[in-house]
Amino acid sequence: MQQKELTEQESLKLITEMIGKTQSHFHESGASTILWGTVISFCALVSFAQSFWNFSIGFDIWILTLVAVAPQIWIGIKEGRSRVVKTYQDSHIDTIWTVYVISIFAMLVYANVVAYTSVKLLAGDGLEIFSKNISTGEIKPYRIFPPSFSSVMMVLYAFPTLATGLITKYKPLIAGAFICYTCFVVSLFTSFTYDMLLSAIATICCWLIPGLMLRNKYLKQKKEKDV
Amino acid sequence: MFKDLDPILHSQLRLAVISLLIGVKEAEFTFLKEKTNATAGNLSVQIQKLKDAGYIDVIKKFKDNYPQTICKITTKGIKAFEEYVKNLQGYLGKNK
Repeated sequence: MQQKELTEQESLKLITEMIGKTQSHFHESGASTILWGTVISFCALVSFAQSFWNFSIGFDIWILTLVAVAPQIWIGIKEGRSRVVKTYQDSHIDTIWTVYVISIFAMLVYANVVAYTSVKLLAGDGLEIFSKNISTGEIKPYRIFPPSFSSVMMVLYAFPTLATGLITKYKPLIAGAFICYTCFVVSLFTSFTYDMLLSAIATICCWLIPGLMLRNKYLKQKKEKDV
Repeated sequence: MFKDLDPILHSQLRLAVISLLIGVKEAEFTFLKEKTNATAGNLSVQIQKLKDAGYIDVIKKFKDNYPQTICKITTKGIKAFEEYVKNLQGYLGKNK
């Protein structure tokens, strides 16, 4: 492009062309979506297997979610460095996912703290909750934990996914979020074991599959650019 | 009566840069160069003119030991662009 005077028609054409170029710029690699879709669905499937076949692997599989933070930071830094343009849309999506991470962390703190403080508060009033096995008659202290907590987590998984899908108009994310909401509704009527299976289905549909599709699109676009 | 078109914006490369920046929060020099197909030297000169007019902010940083130039449109630049488009529409309406 040279430095030259323009006619009014040429100016308008140029403005339209340049604005179109920013809108068609696509850089989402799908790496984070694949990472979290894989980690959460794997953890949920292992939890389901342990509960369904009644065995233990000896440690809490959900620790993997903490381990996955390290590659996520690496992906974030790498993508931040390779990003040559930041659109308002990118900025809004980043904000949504930041709020999501804070909310997930807050929910995990809630689930663990509320269980502990409930026992303490009841004890302060001189109360303790017990559960009774109807068939054996065995009575033991009841461990308070927010009921069907994984259902609440599924709502949280769906929220940023649907928001991102609607902002970017990316249908696999929208469809994934609706499957996630469906899994949430079903999980209200199922036990912990099947809640874990539903969590795995939800995260595979709302993150892993759209992530793989985004990755495919990204690599195809990169290949075309390199040719 | 039609106003004169802003001479800072009424040139091909500067208008292209402003049109790219109006739709994004910020963009690197390399992005602007790729989308405008301009030479680095020419683009640098035009970016400096837009900066001097107060239409864009230019932030210079280092990324992996290489200099990185980030451009952002300013509020003054947005107003100038909107005014330019408004005047342009006036001219196009007159020529119909």
